[in-house]
Amino acid sequence: MEKIISIMGWETVKTIVGLVGVLIFVVFNALILTWAERKVAGHMQRRIGPKEVGPFGLIQPIADAIKLLGKEILTPREVDRPLYWLAPVLIFVPVLVSFVVIPFDASLQVRDMNAGILVILAFSSLSVLSILMAGWGSNNKYALIGAIRSVAQNIAYEIPLLLALLPVIMMANSFSLKAIVEAQQGLWFVVCQPIAFFIYFIAAVAETNRTPFDLPEAESELVAGYHTEYSGMRFALFFLAEYTNIFIVSAIAVTFFLGGYQGPFLPGIVWFLLKSYCLVFVIIWLRWTYPRVRFDQLLNLSWKALIPLAFINLLVTGGLLKL
Amino acid sequence: MVEKIKAELGAALGGVEIRETEYRERGYHLSCEASPGELLKAARFFDECGFYLAAIVCVDYREYLELVYIFANHSALCKTKVTLKLDPAKPAAPTLSAIFDCAYWHEREIREFYGVLFDGHPNLTYLFLHEGIDAYPLRKEQVLLADEDKKALGAFRPEEGEDTFFVNLGPQHPSTHGVLRVVLKMDGEYIQSAEPVLGYLHRMHEKMAENRSYLQFLPNPSRMDYLGAMSFNLGHVTAVERLCGIAVPDRANCVRVIATELNRISSHLLWLGAYLADLGALTPFLFVFDDREQINDVLEAVTGSRLTYCYFRFGGLYNDVDEAFIAGTKAFIERMRGRFGLYEKLVGGNVIFINRTRGIGVIEKERARKYAVSGPVLRGAGIAMDMRKAEPCAAYSEMDFDIPVGTRGDALDMYRVRVREMGTALDIIEQALARLPDGPVMAEKVPKKLKPPKGDLYHTVETPRGELGIYIVSDESDRPYRMKWRVPSFSNLMIFPELARGNLLADAVAILGSLDLVIPEIDR
Amino acid sequence: MLDLARANSIWPMTFGLACCAIEMMSTAMSRFDLDRFGAGVFRATPRQADLMIVTGTVTRKMAPVLTRLYEQMPSPKWVIAMGNCAISGGPFVFEGQYNVIEGVDLLVPVDVYVPGCPPRPEGLLEGFLKLEEKITGKRRFPGPDSRW
Repeated sequence: MEKIISIMGWETVKTIVGLVGVLIFVVFNALILTWAERKVAGHMQRRIGPKEVGPFGLIQPIADAIKLLGKEILTPREVDRPLYWLAPVLIFVPVLVSFVVIPFDASLQVRDMNAGILVILAFSSLSVLSILMAGWGSNNKYALIGAIRSVAQNIAYEIPLLLALLPVIMMANSFSLKAIVEAQQGLWFVVCQPIAFFIYFIAAVAETNRTPFDLPEAESELVAGYHTEYSGMRFALFFLAEYTNIFIVSAIAVTFFLGGYQGPFLPGIVWFLLKSYCLVFVIIWLRWTYPRVRFDQLLNLSWKALIPLAFINLLVTGGLLKL
Repeated sequence: MVEKIKAELGAALGGVEIRETEYRERGYHLSCEASPGELLKAARFFDECGFYLAAIVCVDYREYLELVYIFANHSALCKTKVTLKLDPAKPAAPTLSAIFDCAYWHEREIREFYGVLFDGHPNLTYLFLHEGIDAYPLRKEQVLLADEDKKALGAFRPEEGEDTFFVNLGPQHPSTHGVLRVVLKMDGEYIQSAEPVLGYLHRMHEKMAENRSYLQFLPNPSRMDYLGAMSFNLGHVTAVERLCGIAVPDRANCVRVIATELNRISSHLLWLGAYLADLGALTPFLFVFDDREQINDVLEAVTGSRLTYCYFRFGGLYNDVDEAFIAGTKAFIERMRGRFGLYEKLVGGNVIFINRTRGIGVIEKERARKYAVSGPVLRGAGIAMDMRKAEPCAAYSEMDFDIPVGTRGDALDMYRVRVREMGTALDIIEQALARLPDGPVMAEKVPKKLKPPKGDLYHTVETPRGELGIYIVSDESDRPYRMKWRVPSFSNLMIFPELARGNLLADAVAILGSLDLVIPEIDR
Repeated sequence: MLDLARANSIWPMTFGLACCAIEMMSTAMSRFDLDRFGAGVFRATPRQADLMIVTGTVTRKMAPVLTRLYEQMPSPKWVIAMGNCAISGGPFVFEGQYNVIEGVDLLVPVDVYVPGCPPRPEGLLEGFLKLEEKITGKRRFPGPDSRW
């Protein structure tokens, strides 16, 4: 063991172990979230949700996963094969990388980079590319429309997302996520930056393609959007990525606005997960309450409302900090 | 009104005999026989007078084919039947699609089923049927399709342009609630034109009617419109009763109103849920099903079925209602009144919902008339027309209720009209319960084999989706010679291509949903 | 193990044909809650569905579409014929009929038949349990005919 460490260096080993941990966490998280989603939806809709498969239906997501694994690997005839095959894999990479820099606890972080948030934002933008690949490669009109919608939506909402995070970065004076959490020792940033939090949250829901912004996979319009032609394991990868994305945006929100892993009595990781899953719950809640917005309304909201608001917020913050 | 129209129509046509008919027996006030030229004149006359074309029916009398045009009015009760005789060997008639837009589809239907050629019709291609059909299905004697006929009928082929592409909405698509197919010509996300393709659930109801006795056909209407099964059942039963002159006991009439209105609420509830699901909110769908189950419980106890009711029989009811039914209905009224507030909070007050529906799919009054839309769609457009008021059957004439109308004619208005209609339905049920008389629920001496006297009848009832017209021709046998169902969804769908043009795909889904279509009813 | 997983996660396709579709929806709704058995995830695209519930009359115009949808589903896949129309053409079979397929089993292999016009939601639930039984060889609950 020590030999390996001495050869590869402590940091590398830590990263590899972390990555494996992250991978396990990602799968576990997705399983929990699908179960939670169905259970929450069930209770909101005056029914029980999964119940018969395992205690409280807890085995349900595992059954789903095994079933999806066991499905026929099906490639439609008319698809653009390289793109079609690559897209589900590619959508998974940025999701995985984002986890590397998230501080789960004061010491539980795969790598603390001084440009941590930039890594996350850069990689999350990549997922648009794979959605576009999926839509284009599927050679299906619904998928293509879904993919194009997704691109427009992600570009539109990346900007307010970034602009909402900037004031926090200015206040913490660092790009490092850990430093940002440390800066919230006394006061959570959500208190002094409520507008930024608000904008960030809306943009984050849009980034994850969830209702009311689920246009890329709008079931009643586009059947299943960009993953219409995907089945079995490939579909499961899209699914996995979606749920992991939900967790990531919540985790970033917690890190930036809700004090990260800080909290009394309980260990940091518990606080972090607790806060994150609360936000995840809110996102699920939104999905089962609201109808879907229309495409032009979606873009209008971003360009005409959120971006100007975020700019004003940024200016005011900057001005106050200077004073 | 009738006198005035008779005089003016007579003047417009010049020398054509216009007969006054007994409305109670026939369902129309005036009738006249026209030549092709006179038909066009009559159509123009009715168009100027603000009438709408309720239905076009073709009847095959073996020696000749007869086209029956029913013209009716939104503001006053005055119906006119204009007939046109055709040569069965080479049937041809002028098209009315240039005057009344709704004729466009009616004529396509007749072309397929009878082989009547309409001169000047822009697009006489398959609407319901497909290439596999060899003979005209509704002709009394087998008439085979010639090869050139098949070719002409199959001429509709979507072609892609430079910057446009086609999207097939359906036949298997979540938003069409069944097997409707709409071929959308898209320019990006915008729709250039929409062309519905019907007939994926064509179950030959009209053909079956000619093959079965009146009694045997009883289960069919409720399978046409499975959501408003009670209304269709009511329409069929009252039409035959009217034709045979059977009087129905008061108690049965009252119960008919209660059952039909309960079913109307259930249908509107399902529409509400499905519409919200179209717009992306799934939860209301489950809420409305919760309420629906209460209605189903109440109705199931007396009718014996949950969905495709066959409760009304010629002369009365299958089964008398009991105390449990009345108590259950009262409990439901109580519960439903409380639920409106919830729906208003969950749906009606939701900003996203309002933004998605306001100003979408606007139907002007004039356009509504030209397309002969009916029901909540027509009332949403601002025309207070309800067959329950205009031509009441059962005990509707004794009920006091108002007709909710919209102001702008958009999808939001349709939503509001339907929600308020649920309220008025509750009022009607309460009134009917209050005056429910004792007595028998079945008329005495209704013969097992009904043989109505010779003649025809155009009978209408208000279903949850609008005006249902039943045109029956009787030849004194126990089977209808011809039974035409003028179904509301069919007329309401006709307006969709015009509403969808130039809109976003998401809006098209919202518009399609606001029309409240039931596909088996359209396809029959 | 694989069978067990499959039986417990049957995702049906949103595929409503006629009257029975409403009862299929009822089955998924609050009172009957199909999701209890893990079968509540209605997928709109055949590629992600395991089960096709044929809910209603299949016409000759619809037949090629239905076959195509079945072929688009990845195996293992199952079919439930719900209602008399799907089983045999139901009430719409008469002499001289020209448009109804007399039984969906003429087009695709059917695993479970649920009779009724339309079947009650309980009937469809029983159909689901039968299908699970068929996949795993074991029944989840004591059946209606077994003594407990």
